[in-house]
Amino acid sequence: MSLEEPDPTDAVPAATSADAMEALVSEHVLSRDDHLNAPGYVVRPDAVQDTLSTLRTEAGLDHLSCVTAQEYEDRYESIYHLKSYDDPTHEASVVVPTPKDDPRSQTAEPVFRTADWHEREAYDLVGIEYEDHPDPRRILLPETWQGHPLSLNYDQERPQIVPLSEHANPLQDDQRGDEGETMFLNIGPHHPATHGVLHLKTTLDGEQVVDVDPDIGYLHRCEEQICQNGTYRYQIMPYPDRWDYISAGLLNEWAYARAIEDMAEIEVPEYAQVIRTLGAELCRIAAHMLAIGTFALDVYGDFTAIFMYAVRDREKVQNILEDLTGQRLMFNYFRLGGVVWDLPEPREDFFETIRDFLDDLPQALEEYHDLISQNEILQVRTVDTGVLPPEVAKSYGATGPVARGSGIDYDLRRDDPYGYYDELDWDVVTDDGCDNYSRLFVRLRELEESAKIIEQCVDLLEDWPEDNRTIQSNVPRTIRPEDDAEIYRAVEGAKGELGIYLRSDGTEKPARFKIRSPCFSNLQTLPEMSNGEYIPDLVASLGSLDIVLGEVDR
Amino acid sequence: MKASWVLLQNGNATGNATNATAGGVARPPSAPLADSIAGMLGLDGAVAGPWAKRKITAAFTDRIAVNRVGPFGLLIIVADAVRLLSKELIVPDGVDRPAWDIAPIVIPFSALLGFAVIPFGSGLQLADPETGLVFAFAAASIASLGVVMAGYASNNKYSLLGGLRAIASNIAYEIPLIVTAASVVIFAGTLQMSEIVAVQQQTLIEIGGVAIPQWFAFVNPFAFALFILANLAEIGRNPFDIPEAPTEIVAGFQTEYSSVYFVLLYLGEFIHIFLGGALAAALFLGGPSGPVLPGFVWFYIKMWAFFLFTQWARSAVPRLRVDQFLDAGWKGMLVLSFANLVLTAILVGVIV
Repeated sequence: MSLEEPDPTDAVPAATSADAMEALVSEHVLSRDDHLNAPGYVVRPDAVQDTLSTLRTEAGLDHLSCVTAQEYEDRYESIYHLKSYDDPTHEASVVVPTPKDDPRSQTAEPVFRTADWHEREAYDLVGIEYEDHPDPRRILLPETWQGHPLSLNYDQERPQIVPLSEHANPLQDDQRGDEGETMFLNIGPHHPATHGVLHLKTTLDGEQVVDVDPDIGYLHRCEEQICQNGTYRYQIMPYPDRWDYISAGLLNEWAYARAIEDMAEIEVPEYAQVIRTLGAELCRIAAHMLAIGTFALDVYGDFTAIFMYAVRDREKVQNILEDLTGQRLMFNYFRLGGVVWDLPEPREDFFETIRDFLDDLPQALEEYHDLISQNEILQVRTVDTGVLPPEVAKSYGATGPVARGSGIDYDLRRDDPYGYYDELDWDVVTDDGCDNYSRLFVRLRELEESAKIIEQCVDLLEDWPEDNRTIQSNVPRTIRPEDDAEIYRAVEGAKGELGIYLRSDGTEKPARFKIRSPCFSNLQTLPEMSNGEYIPDLVASLGSLDIVLGEVDR
Repeated sequence: MKASWVLLQNGNATGNATNATAGGVARPPSAPLADSIAGMLGLDGAVAGPWAKRKITAAFTDRIAVNRVGPFGLLIIVADAVRLLSKELIVPDGVDRPAWDIAPIVIPFSALLGFAVIPFGSGLQLADPETGLVFAFAAASIASLGVVMAGYASNNKYSLLGGLRAIASNIAYEIPLIVTAASVVIFAGTLQMSEIVAVQQQTLIEIGGVAIPQWFAFVNPFAFALFILANLAEIGRNPFDIPEAPTEIVAGFQTEYSSVYFVLLYLGEFIHIFLGGALAAALFLGGPSGPVLPGFVWFYIKMWAFFLFTQWARSAVPRLRVDQFLDAGWKGMLVLSFANLVLTAILVGVIV
């Protein structure tokens, strides 16, 4: 745990207990529907904005972490998972049931900007409509899609062939208005700087961006539905590796592991926690290396040495992870209650490899700072561009290096500790610049902190008594959490808060499996950062967000 | 490439005519000479593009690069030529046909034309008109026209943005480049390339028996640095690869070109780099002069050194944003180049 004590002036407003919060919004609360992680307040569909804004201002719940939509036999339900940026363990859920025949609910967008995309997704996949939503379109599926795939009566056999006339033709004729000086430009889905299949509908005035509208969903693989069809015990764990596939696999696995372990009350042996922490931080280094390298590509042009250097250093981490897990990308190393196997033998060699890497890292970082953060041209390019003020970042639910680059001191590893993090000595890096440079700089500094954590883990593991190396606790072969238990749990992924909402229905498979992707929320801030700036800054901002489309689209 | 060769010879002829009227020593026009110089440059481009560039970039980025075909991977040049030339030439819908086809010829041709007046040393110089330096810059600037044609005619918004960037930035680097070169002209007192080179052979200072020649890079290192910087912009390399700017506007003006047209554009870019290097060598680095080795070889070494420098910049220097580049051009390079010109003029006026 960081030695920094939380600043007492940051203390959240008084109403932090479940009952105190309920009293605040008592006029709207119909009943309680508590989740395992947080109190849940059931409110009427027309009281969403009132409830959320009261909780936001009076109870300090200023982070709309996630919106989960789901359909029951008798109703639809939207769940707003609220947290506090100052203290993420201070949580509450606002549950909004809507009737089957008229699933309409008030939008939360005026209170939290991030609700925009989350509610679009809820509409797209589940079919709940949000009144007064500023942009009620589908988000992940094509606009012509028929039906809502996560609704109960969805017919999977139904053909999705839609007449051409109902498609918006991507190759429309030129449209020239008589007035207006703007130009519409499609950036992506195939563009060197979109880091995957992202499509930015951009309106330009000369070279300046007037408006940018990210179009996502090209990489939507129904990850939530896949997980809902898998058993808790064995079949879900391979999939998290495929969300943020930029070597952040173990961090993703941990998100699922944490949610289900808390739900099914599975203990994790201390030894396994240390190994998990070690592996997760190695993944973070690998992910940040790639983020830094590709950011350099975006700003320098495509023949830059920095990218190759970053990939070279990432390669060393990948080799270590391969030694540990047997895989280079899709690790599948965590198990419920621990990890799948112990450290590779001979252990001394393994520790030696890690120590060699850690010994070389300061020199490598110095080189990166010489090449990137100390470079005056890069500073001219990135300082004061893509500005994301902290208030805006919070409203969009930005987390991870994006939030920390805007001066928001929010890191679940410290604020909502899990694993072995609270036993170790490390710091949360923040920077008040709020610009592209800050986000880059935060990532560079976080490499150092991750290295510190790894070093301490190696020290611990080296001296770990041989008779106490339990890698997995005793977990039943089949896990059936009790009926209708709900939990939302998050870990600090490479890109930010990676959360999982689980609802059980008494079977061995989850009834609802919702992934809160940090990239999804972070990408939403792109228009805020880019409108009014130049195309190169748009590209740099996109690079500084460090999105992975596999995680955005799931 | 036939057209450009003919025009090169025309350039040769005019050059001789100018010489004749000025009473200079006219070298007989020689078709084989023109052919061999054009061929040499074509070879330079061929070696630089598919092979040297890869090897140099690889060295900067800790890689090995081409090493499979032939010694040091050199035969990749043949393989790449066959590959590129045998690809389908895709003509996108709605391109502005004559302009779209002419642009990939204009760009390499303009660079080749500039070489007509470059003194390679060892007697290799196609033409030596009194206005040689002006001619070289005039020819090189035609490339901007080609870029604009390509950008505008491609019927692609990224190409258009590239073309617009090329226009917007043109004056920002072209004027500083020429004004800096003009300071050399004030020193040398002539625009004739052979004379400018000859002036630089005189001894500037003698240190321990070693005569340091009066290369203008030694006489005025500031002008040399400014010239190299503006030159980077002229040839469109980092930090000034604004009209192409991959990762921002895909490939700028050349986004829609494939197959032979792409080869021509690519070749044109490399010949432009060499022209930039040749001008720097002739104006500031004493042209073909150097110890032991023949002049021609020295000239080549200097040209390739400049090429190496551009590739270095490409590997290590971030790209400026287009408006920042215009700022740097108008408020920085332009002011400095005029200051340099005025100071040079005063100094030369006082000394001479």
